[in-house]
Amino acid sequence: MPPNVVPLDLRDFLCIAPALVLAFWGLVVIAADLGRFRRLDPDARRVACGRATLVGVGLALASAVFLAWVDALAQSDAPRLVALFGDSLGGYFARTDGLIFFGTLARGLAVDVLNVLFLVLLAMVVWMSTSYGFTDDLGEYFALMLWATVGMMLLAAAEELATLFIALETTTICLYLATAFERSRRRSAEAGLKYFVYGSVSSALFLYGLSLVYGLAGSTYFDAIGRVLRGGDAGLAGNLAGASALLLLLVGFGFKVSAVPFQQWVPDVYEGAPAPVAAWIATGSKVASFVAMLKVFVHALGPWSHPSGSVMGPGWLGVVAVVAAVTMTYGNLAALAQKDLKRMLAYSSIAHAGYMLVGVAAASVSTEGPASAGAVVYYLIVYALANVGAFAVAAWLARDKGTEAIADLDGLAGRSPSLAVCIVVLMLSLIGVPPFAGFFGKLYVFMEALRQGPSDTRIVLTWLVALGLFNSVVSAFYYVRVLKAMYLREPSGRPIEPARPALALPIAAAAVLVTVLGVVPGPLVDLSRSVAVPMLTAGRLDVPAAVDVPAPAPPAEKPSGVAWHPETPTD
Amino acid sequence: MANDIPLNWFLYFSAAAFAIGLTGVLLRRNAIAVLMAIEIMLNAANVNLVAFWRYGTPAAGAGPMPGVILALLVVTVAAAEVAVGIGLVLLCYRRWRAVDVDRYDTLSG
Amino acid sequence: MARSLFLAIAALGLLAALGTVLARNLVRAALHLVAFFFCVACLFVMLEAEFLAAVQVLIYIGAVAILLMFGIMLTRNAATAEADLSGGWRVPGVIAGLCVFAALAFGINNAVSPSGSGAWSAIVARPALEPAEGVAWKAERSRAIDDMPRVVGEQFMTRYALAFELAGLLLTAALVGAVALAREEPAPGDSEPATAVEAEAAVGTTP
Repeated sequence: MPPNVVPLDLRDFLCIAPALVLAFWGLVVIAADLGRFRRLDPDARRVACGRATLVGVGLALASAVFLAWVDALAQSDAPRLVALFGDSLGGYFARTDGLIFFGTLARGLAVDVLNVLFLVLLAMVVWMSTSYGFTDDLGEYFALMLWATVGMMLLAAAEELATLFIALETTTICLYLATAFERSRRRSAEAGLKYFVYGSVSSALFLYGLSLVYGLAGSTYFDAIGRVLRGGDAGLAGNLAGASALLLLLVGFGFKVSAVPFQQWVPDVYEGAPAPVAAWIATGSKVASFVAMLKVFVHALGPWSHPSGSVMGPGWLGVVAVVAAVTMTYGNLAALAQKDLKRMLAYSSIAHAGYMLVGVAAASVSTEGPASAGAVVYYLIVYALANVGAFAVAAWLARDKGTEAIADLDGLAGRSPSLAVCIVVLMLSLIGVPPFAGFFGKLYVFMEALRQGPSDTRIVLTWLVALGLFNSVVSAFYYVRVLKAMYLREPSGRPIEPARPALALPIAAAAVLVTVLGVVPGPLVDLSRSVAVPMLTAGRLDVPAAVDVPAPAPPAEKPSGVAWHPETPTD
Repeated sequence: MANDIPLNWFLYFSAAAFAIGLTGVLLRRNAIAVLMAIEIMLNAANVNLVAFWRYGTPAAGAGPMPGVILALLVVTVAAAEVAVGIGLVLLCYRRWRAVDVDRYDTLSG
Repeated sequence: MARSLFLAIAALGLLAALGTVLARNLVRAALHLVAFFFCVACLFVMLEAEFLAAVQVLIYIGAVAILLMFGIMLTRNAATAEADLSGGWRVPGVIAGLCVFAALAFGINNAVSPSGSGAWSAIVARPALEPAEGVAWKAERSRAIDDMPRVVGEQFMTRYALAFELAGLLLTAALVGAVALAREEPAPGDSEPATAVEAEAAVGTTP
């Protein structure tokens, strides 16, 4: 290797330990399924595979919690870290630049918190998958779920466009495949193909937009793009290439977060996919995509949000505001007509994407700065928890009745009163009724939207908030239909069987978490805000505010400190 | 080099190829034909990336060849995408004896 | 000389792309696609990225196009049975394509790079790479051009190590999932028993 190449710091791999564990465990599960479990009868094999997968998720969760502890310690008591782990490792962990792998990936408490969230959700989804037999290729199925999670974790941590693109593709390709895994039904294969076609077209559009951004900025690092765009005096006015790039990137993210007009695939895929896969598309993939979207739009393309100070000026803020308004209205109105539980959840997840887009728009203009994106992070956490529980209900119906009609829930309150209460909690949280967490999610997003400086943006965002409140009222109608079926109707045919622990536990856990986070929202809100700041400023922490001045040469004893731009000192 | 090719020529080529690919996605109903149109779009983006790499001025700290690396990753992704796409198409073909995206009928959308 | 060569290759490439999109016969479309891939590889050579051109030929023509051919052959009777261009959508589709091209071309024509290198339309030649005082990227890029495989390897082992690992995971996942899906299934009553050709396709998706 020539002397001018800065070698990779192998300690960086410690910081992505959860992802490494999951990636390796996917192979372990396949091998165990091929070698041992295949001889068991189907039910035992499914439970064995699920348990084996859960062991891996547990290991990854342990490593993520450990890293969160280390990173929390680095912020509060760095010398102790050095004392605990020695100079080399302790000093490494105590670094505050928040970037690893030459700046392509973020590390730190923000990443750890999101990793813990992904792993908790994944554990619930895996558990739910053991409840009914929808596929024969169990080892492959669980491995794909694990690998999709690896993609999501790295997508949420990516700080550079090449890493972002490959992580995005890993996530979605694993999910295309998992969608088509339900062997017994044709609609699963159709949903998989549909998801694949829409998904790959949108990622091709996304890639073209990405290439234009690279051409305009000359770099693929979010922070460098942001600095270049801030330095350009022209803004976006008259820059049609920049505008095309923005729109193409918006198509890519709009597809992943299911915003109108890129939502056509959502109801079909959610309906056709096995319930646990649909749950993972609706929660994990959406959380990761929203985090990546916040990073790209607010951090990298932030200078283009409203360059001339007016919301409808040349910038993405106006476009995102319009998309948010249309998305929440369309999602809620279309959900009113649904009879199938998974389709209803699909349209409701479109509506929730609309509320969160309000938060994205707000984050770019809020007077609070990057911390305002904390509202979106909080909303994402709450939304994901409630939705995993709701999809567990869908899995219950699918196991028992083979369909997921809301009418199948008739009379549930008489047979499983405690689970019915849990479902009530989940639905109320999705509507946004206090004291459940969904209420605070909406409250904080809308509050950020109202906390504006320039008067022009304030008017538009106030209208957006008013529309959001109206939509919340509309959404109550379809969520309440679920409650009505459980409490007011008598079962018409064979009543639903009581849930097994594999289903009851995710539902109950989601309901308890949503209640606790609603009754005591403070800690999580503070955590989300502290997560959002490094998420949207990573790379700027150690770079002096004066742009384009090369960073000082790295100190000799710690070459990895600023190793992510090794050529700047010479240039 | 007085007679060198201007940057814009590459960009026009890639814009045209991208538009052709997009038209193909909109026109074709056959899943494999859509897959081919997507490949054209990915290649168009690759031409853009490499042209920007060769002609552009890099920002500080961008690395020697971000465009080429991204293009190589795109090639990898395209290979994986085609493998997955053909797998899904075969699966659907076995169930419907058809590869047209709108011939499948189990989902109401 | 370089300009006329470029124009010839670009014209051929665009014609091949049009042929891919418009050909009714899918095998013919795939052959046009191979020609398009080859023209793109030639453009990579003109951009002094020979390594990438080699990769393009090996992977796109050697693997992707062959895989598409497999797909076409295995679904042959369905693929050739009917005219597949959708009638009602033809005019709006073509108009949408033309609009996208017009918007992009107009944008490219007027684009000004905020990074300080000026308007794209003013860049009529690639930057000269003689080593100059204080401009490290020129030396870096000329090394990348002269020794591209080595620099690509260095980049994938250092700066883009994670993206490289992730690409490996992506290929593994695609392989495992595609084999599981395309494998011949034991379920009876499902249209027809899978043939030996289909088993071969499952193998074909693995490289």
